[in-house]
Amino acid sequence: MTDFMSYLVLGITRGSMYALIALGYTLVYGVLQLINFAHSEVFMSGAFGSYAIVHLLVGDGKGTPAWAVPFVLIAGILSGAITAAAIAWTLERVAYRPLRKRGAPKLAFLISAIGASFFLSQLAGKLFGRLTSNSFPAFWDQNHIIFHLFGAPVRTLQIVIVGSAVVMMLFLDRLVSSTKLGRSIRAVSEDAPTAALMGIDIDKTISRTFIIGGLLGGAAGFLFGLNFSLGNTMGFLPGVKAFAAAVLGGIGNIRGAMIGGLVLGIVENMVPVVHIDTSWTDVVAFVVLVLVLMFRPTGILGERLGRAA
Amino acid sequence: MRTRSLAKIAAIGIAGALALTACSNSSSPSGTGLGGGGSSSNTSNKTYKIGFQGALSGDNQQLGINEINSVNLAVDEANQKGDLGFKLEVLKSDDGGTADKAPAAAALLIQDTAVLGVVGPIFSGPTSATGKTYAAANMGLISPSATNATLTSSGFTTFHRIVPTDGVEGTQAAEWLAKKNKKVFVVDDTSVYGKGVADVVAKTLQGKGVSVTRQGVAATTQDYGAIAQTVTSSGATAMFYGGYDAQAALFAKALTASGFKGLRVTGNGGKSTVFTSGSGAAGNGWYFSCGCQDATTAPEAKAFNDAYTAKYNTPPSTYSPEAYDAANALIDAYKTAVAAGNPTRQSVEDAISKLDYKGITTEVKFASNGEVAQATVNLYEQKDGKIVQLGNILQQS
Amino acid sequence: MSAPKRTNPRTESLKRLVSCLLASLVVALMWGPQEGSFGNFWFGITQSIFKPRVLVFLALGVVLFLVISFWPKVVPYLTRPGVGPLVSGGVTVLAAQTLMHWGDGIGDSKFGTVATAVSNTPGIAPLTKAFFGWLCWVMLAVIFVLAALAIVRGIKVLAWVAAGLSLVAAVIAYVAHHSVVTYAHLLDHSLGVYVEIIGYLVIITAAVVTALSSAEMAEGRVAVNRVLGWRPGLPLVVLGLVVGLLAFASATWFSPQNFNATMSDTHERFRGTGLAPLAVQYLIWLGWTLFAVTTLVGAAAAYLRNRVLGWVAAAGGAISVVLTLITIYDFSKLAGQLHVDSATGPWQNLGAGGWMACGAFFLIGAGGFIAATAHGSVREALARAADSDVVASGRAASTQFLSAPGAMRSGIMLAIAVALFYPPTATGFWQSVLVSEIGIYVLLAIGLNVVVGWAGLLDLGFIAFYAIGSYTTAYLVGSLPIKPPSWLHMSPLLAIPFAVAICLLAGLALGAPTLRLRGDYLAIVTLGFGEIIRIVAVNADGVTNGSRGPDTQVPHPVIHLGPIHITWGLNQLQYWYLLLVFVVIVLLAFRRLENSRIGRAWAAIREDEVAAQATGINTFQIKLLAFAIGASTSGLAGVFFASQVGFFNPDNFVLNNSILVVAYVVFGGMGSLPGAMAGAALLTWLPEFLKDQVPAADRQMWIGAVVLAMMIFRPGGLLPARRRAIELRGFDGAGSQPRAVPASEGM
Repeated sequence: MTDFMSYLVLGITRGSMYALIALGYTLVYGVLQLINFAHSEVFMSGAFGSYAIVHLLVGDGKGTPAWAVPFVLIAGILSGAITAAAIAWTLERVAYRPLRKRGAPKLAFLISAIGASFFLSQLAGKLFGRLTSNSFPAFWDQNHIIFHLFGAPVRTLQIVIVGSAVVMMLFLDRLVSSTKLGRSIRAVSEDAPTAALMGIDIDKTISRTFIIGGLLGGAAGFLFGLNFSLGNTMGFLPGVKAFAAAVLGGIGNIRGAMIGGLVLGIVENMVPVVHIDTSWTDVVAFVVLVLVLMFRPTGILGERLGRAA
Repeated sequence: MRTRSLAKIAAIGIAGALALTACSNSSSPSGTGLGGGGSSSNTSNKTYKIGFQGALSGDNQQLGINEINSVNLAVDEANQKGDLGFKLEVLKSDDGGTADKAPAAAALLIQDTAVLGVVGPIFSGPTSATGKTYAAANMGLISPSATNATLTSSGFTTFHRIVPTDGVEGTQAAEWLAKKNKKVFVVDDTSVYGKGVADVVAKTLQGKGVSVTRQGVAATTQDYGAIAQTVTSSGATAMFYGGYDAQAALFAKALTASGFKGLRVTGNGGKSTVFTSGSGAAGNGWYFSCGCQDATTAPEAKAFNDAYTAKYNTPPSTYSPEAYDAANALIDAYKTAVAAGNPTRQSVEDAISKLDYKGITTEVKFASNGEVAQATVNLYEQKDGKIVQLGNILQQS
Repeated sequence: MSAPKRTNPRTESLKRLVSCLLASLVVALMWGPQEGSFGNFWFGITQSIFKPRVLVFLALGVVLFLVISFWPKVVPYLTRPGVGPLVSGGVTVLAAQTLMHWGDGIGDSKFGTVATAVSNTPGIAPLTKAFFGWLCWVMLAVIFVLAALAIVRGIKVLAWVAAGLSLVAAVIAYVAHHSVVTYAHLLDHSLGVYVEIIGYLVIITAAVVTALSSAEMAEGRVAVNRVLGWRPGLPLVVLGLVVGLLAFASATWFSPQNFNATMSDTHERFRGTGLAPLAVQYLIWLGWTLFAVTTLVGAAAAYLRNRVLGWVAAAGGAISVVLTLITIYDFSKLAGQLHVDSATGPWQNLGAGGWMACGAFFLIGAGGFIAATAHGSVREALARAADSDVVASGRAASTQFLSAPGAMRSGIMLAIAVALFYPPTATGFWQSVLVSEIGIYVLLAIGLNVVVGWAGLLDLGFIAFYAIGSYTTAYLVGSLPIKPPSWLHMSPLLAIPFAVAICLLAGLALGAPTLRLRGDYLAIVTLGFGEIIRIVAVNADGVTNGSRGPDTQVPHPVIHLGPIHITWGLNQLQYWYLLLVFVVIVLLAFRRLENSRIGRAWAAIREDEVAAQATGINTFQIKLLAFAIGASTSGLAGVFFASQVGFFNPDNFVLNNSILVVAYVVFGGMGSLPGAMAGAALLTWLPEFLKDQVPAADRQMWIGAVVLAMMIFRPGGLLPARRRAIELRGFDGAGSQPRAVPASEGM
């Protein structure tokens, strides 16, 4: 039981990060019906941006007073989110909008996003080195055990990750369901031409959708870097997994992405519980994905941003 | 649409010019300036090239960069010393660390007649893909890091390596582990190197009656939480990780987070400053078994360490010292071949086979199958962010 | 697009200026060898931006801004006669002075290296020193500016001056290069100076055109079209003539290491060594005679549109190719026997002359062939043209040249000539790249084109089938830990049907449960499949030998068929021709498929699956078929790869490669076979080319940038399929409806 709960806690931690990234995929898919393949690099740039700020604030991390830690964390999340949002906005302007104006085929968007993804991750590698195991300065005791959940230790960092993810997701849910911007996002994802006729500025809506996705992805980048490591290729795998999570939940569906992310994170961490070698983790994840899609061809919650939110 | 056709013409012009660049033939040894180039009898102006084949791009490029830096350093030092009697250059060829790009990388080195010997290929896969080609060209190879045991029995007649195979360090590490532990968890990164070492460790441990749990975790993994939790809950008193430094660092952090208190050991692939800086405090208390001298503290290696750090702004990392030795050994072979007059690839290869060169990590002296003479395996430990040598692993308790 | 926006022109141009400057900063970040690290976080950025060199990039950004802003004003000048040649000439000279080789044996023999070596040499002629030091750049700049001024302002005197200066520049370049070669006693095979001269010649043409500019000369293209456009085959013959002249006049017939021999030199070299009489005669007179005769006949056939002469030229070309090949074989074999220089045996790359001659003969013969066979269609086209009077109208005529009858086939013939006769002249490195990277990925792209381009299914796990093909081969030849039963143990080429069949089955197995999924769901499932296959290959130690790859080498292919014995060894050329056979077979089959009922069904599904279903197409079966056919092609590629390299491991089958193949297909132009092939060839060639230009690790960044730029400026890809091109432009220009993405894309 203790073991099971430990894995579950790890799974929820990882899953909430997946969910944050998956939201970026799903939002963009909602308005454009396109997989934003470069979202993984948006996530990566968030981690880098927050590193720059956190490093500036705490140096090598030694001697950071305890009262400053929450502020550093908030600064990290904010700087990551803002950097990533800026990158996402630029990405939309450079890699999506010109193609949209030309009425390019759908695959062309995919390839331009892939090109952008290669470009961004390698440019980051050129500018900041290509090591994959960089870490944030150790400015707090992130492994301090706060309490035990059915015997499984729950640590500060895990609380921070899950907590901030939940806050952001609630915020997003509110935003999409009851603000003007949210309504236009839903309208565009429901039927773009009609939305345009109703006076919604499609360009602006799409731009803002990218920004929202970037904010979430950048925050996830910071949390991910804090928990694991950061490097220029850090985006690729979480990107693929989050994409899978978005599809698992029903792509284009915001709550679906949240659930899909959590499910995928938990499934991946449950691999040792069922006594499968951890080197098969990705196989297990993908098999689960395929099985779900076989029985629910549009994911757990089904598609459509508009309907579910 | 006249403008568009303009662009087309320009594109065709560029493409044509670029395609033509591929046409010119390879170069031959000659002087660097134009001055004495013609008088080829004057050997003091001759330039020979040292080939380097390795991963300079792709997933494992960091190892390639560690090594090419050392090779460049060794060649620069040799040129500056001024007692060579000829000039040396490095010709690097990127194989991306994969077998499919290796043939072209090898062809690039072979077609340049100034290249008489090669440091590399640095990985086992590319070596398997090109060993025959190099053998057919009589090109001597000294690999600093291709450790797959089968390479020296595959008929690659010109292949040598200055690292012991996965077997050597694995066996002795396992013997040391078996002295105190009854239950050991062995983890590998599913790479050729990591799995090779881990296999040997697990097998030796089982032979000694130690209970072994075995798991793999892909080298691309970023989240080691699950595997760390598994190690911790398994109740093992020691853990061996077969894999490279960057991943070992992440694993170290995850193990600390999950509260693992047992012995943590890894092999040569993990022993580097990348591990030290990546793992931070979590890396303290890790042990490393390595068939090498300590390139950061051993006196004969101090100079290398300083020069490398000064030149590249970063301390030497995994396989840097080995590559430095390989390059110096190859330079030594070049010297022998040049001294005998009219050096060819064959004469350099002969000189490599007869080498007896004292390097900073090992005594470079090859058996007839290309394996380096057995080195002692040392045990290291990271203490306070520094990896220190504890001495011969067999004498450790 | 949506609600009408009021845009202030000043803020608009300010925005544009800022984005141009930002773009130039990004380029500044990309340029150069600097590398940062986390330890020194801002190093990479400070090195690239906070240095004086950033001013150059910013200036470029400003230039870009000016060009974009004043584009409407620039355009009229661009249509002036002579602009085209001027730009291409200038670019050619620039390329010659930056990228090309100028003296073999001097370092990497690039222009910069040679220039440094020259400046370090005290005793060399001052002119040479000046040329390599500064003169070359000054000349180029002055001439370019003069010619541009002449064109823009229509000053004829200036044009003549520019032409004269170009001539002088070309002569100076030649003299300078020559003095370097003689001074250093180099044995030079480099082409830089010749390309430079060609560039200057083109600029001279531009200047002369400007100087003589009158209504007729202004549209020089019309004149060219009048001669070439309606005479199918003539362009090929002309091209053959040029190549042939280069081949027969050049000293590259026997140039292994320390020789540069023309035909007669080669004859002298082998005098009295028992060279076969045919080869001797060929080198003395036969070669020239054949060339003269076939050229004459070919040109006459094409010009007069004479069918009989066409066939004669085709036959003459074919015979000449064979005779040339025999000659090359004879003397290269003899050279090997005599151990002349670095010669080791027949078919070795000992010089480009003979192969270029083969190419020339082939082109002339092909020109004759096209002239002979395109007879009827020309007549029809001419009749049509006479009706609509398109020949007289300049713009229509300029499009005619490339769409005239026989143009398509001329292109194909040219491609064949290059594919057959270029590789032998390439260096070992490029031969290897051609085979193990370009060739293989071209084959894979052809296969994936069926799935992605034709049927419109996004497959992100295509490499898995390639892996299956490779592993099947390794199993059948006995290289894996599990051995096949002895009756199944076979040589690699025999494994082809098995590998293809197994990949086909794998395609069905993957497709059957998943093809009911729509677009992006399919993408992630195929991606997962690709990863699953790779991870299984890594983890199934006992079956695949894990990440180590097959322990024993996969043997090279052999053919023992009656009297025919062909053994493939380490020579890459052999593999190239084998691969060429594979590609041609696949291409022929797929071309038939494209225009068949199935091909049309794929197109229907791609455009609108629901409508396709409504018309009675069994969409599921048809999609499955696409999957299986694509998969089986990569099975073929797998067999070839395994037996050519002899070794592989799961690292060759990573997800990134799957994504890359999709990128190749779309980059080249979805749904178009030439496009997919061109895309794969270009994007696999690019990293190898960039090897010498940028740090190795940066190559993927540049490729990403190239792909991105291509999709932005040409979303249809390099050579889009005709049907796709229409979709993109629409029959009547761009659609004006507001929509996020084209709704018709039923991917």
